[in-house]
Amino acid sequence: MSTTNAGLAKKLGYKNVRVYLEGEPAWSKAGYPTYTSKGYIDTGNIVLIDIRASHKAVEGRIKRAVSIPYDDLEDRIDDIPRNAPVILYSDDQEEATDAVDDLRSDGFKHVALVPGNYAGWVSAGGAIEIGPIASTEIRWQRILGKGEVSVADFKKATDGGDPNVFVIDSRTKEEVAELGIFKNTTNIPLDEITSRMNELPKDKKIYVHCSTGARADMAYQELKKNGFDVKFLLLNIEEAECDCEILRP
Amino acid sequence: MQNHPKKFFIFGIIALLALAGCAAEKPQETATAVKPAVEQAENVLKGKIAGKSNKAKSISIVVGKGDKAKTVMLKFDDNTKGIEFAKKGSAAIIKYDVKDGEKFATIIKPKLAKLPAGVTEIKTEELRGLYENHADMTVIDARPASRYAQARLPGAISIPVPEMKMGKETVLPANKEQLLVFYCGGPT
Repeated sequence: MSTTNAGLAKKLGYKNVRVYLEGEPAWSKAGYPTYTSKGYIDTGNIVLIDIRASHKAVEGRIKRAVSIPYDDLEDRIDDIPRNAPVILYSDDQEEATDAVDDLRSDGFKHVALVPGNYAGWVSAGGAIEIGPIASTEIRWQRILGKGEVSVADFKKATDGGDPNVFVIDSRTKEEVAELGIFKNTTNIPLDEITSRMNELPKDKKIYVHCSTGARADMAYQELKKNGFDVKFLLLNIEEAECDCEILRP
Repeated sequence: MQNHPKKFFIFGIIALLALAGCAAEKPQETATAVKPAVEQAENVLKGKIAGKSNKAKSISIVVGKGDKAKTVMLKFDDNTKGIEFAKKGSAAIIKYDVKDGEKFATIIKPKLAKLPAGVTEIKTEELRGLYENHADMTVIDARPASRYAQARLPGAISIPVPEMKMGKETVLPANKEQLLVFYCGGPT
């Protein structure tokens, strides 16, 4: 994409055109800050964190920001959902970039800053809140992606509460033998999915899971291509969120 | 008559190469690179890796664009060359054999982006240096606007590819000597 634009710019007569092929992911990976847009801060499904001292947040903060002073960030890091896009701001650029680096080092993949920090937001006319902070609880729900089944629906099916669903465990036989399998679930390893499609009911919904979601996603693609009504669970099944009952070996 | 099927293949390959992504290439620039692949066109897949599972020894790759995009699953084993290039999200070229109706990846290569004539690549540290020195440059994010909104390089402006094609370049600096740096979501 960037090469296409660069080619067009060259045609328009720009003499000095370069392409940063590694792109935004490499920039973030190198530890350099990225920035977000006002509209995304206003309405995006994000966790917005004010890392300034609490009294400053009381005096005025970006609407819907959660106040976690930088000194407390490390203690609260496990309260922040790992797969949420996290947007930070401060009144000190160095502190802001340090916080970005801390979160990324801890495994957060989507961390960005408010351009110009709090002052930048105010001067851009962004909405603010003033007054005491009622709660510093982080409420964030992931929006399900294409083809994903919610944990609640998945749990209902493995609990036997949804007879119209056929659940597939796409892990290997060895994994199942060692760790057990959910109730009401059939083990079809990913590499057997193509050859065992005749075992699957065409008149039921199919949910696929594995250990993290990667293989389930692949099985989902394959089954969808073959006309099945299928969804997959994008979740590490060891997470507490999925407390589905397991039949131990 | 001999020529027709061949032309058709070349067309197909060009269409595949025109896939979205940083690696998107322009047909005329790839015409020379296309030839060797033509002979084995039916056993080569080009696209974006959608997933890899070491446990199931499977790779899935998305080929085609837009509504025609489809995911193809292949097996791999210890004899598969270049398995390190089968990284989720990266563009790759996979050669494969068909055994018992299933595809086995034999060679995996990264699909490298070709730069348009007169355009050079810039790496992270050099770009960082330009920022530090407050270089006179315009940094342009070529990804869709939604991605730009989420996380962009400092001071970057947004011109997604379709808008550039429709003439949104009016937001580029009037000075055609100024350095322009385009970026997108990278090869990975």
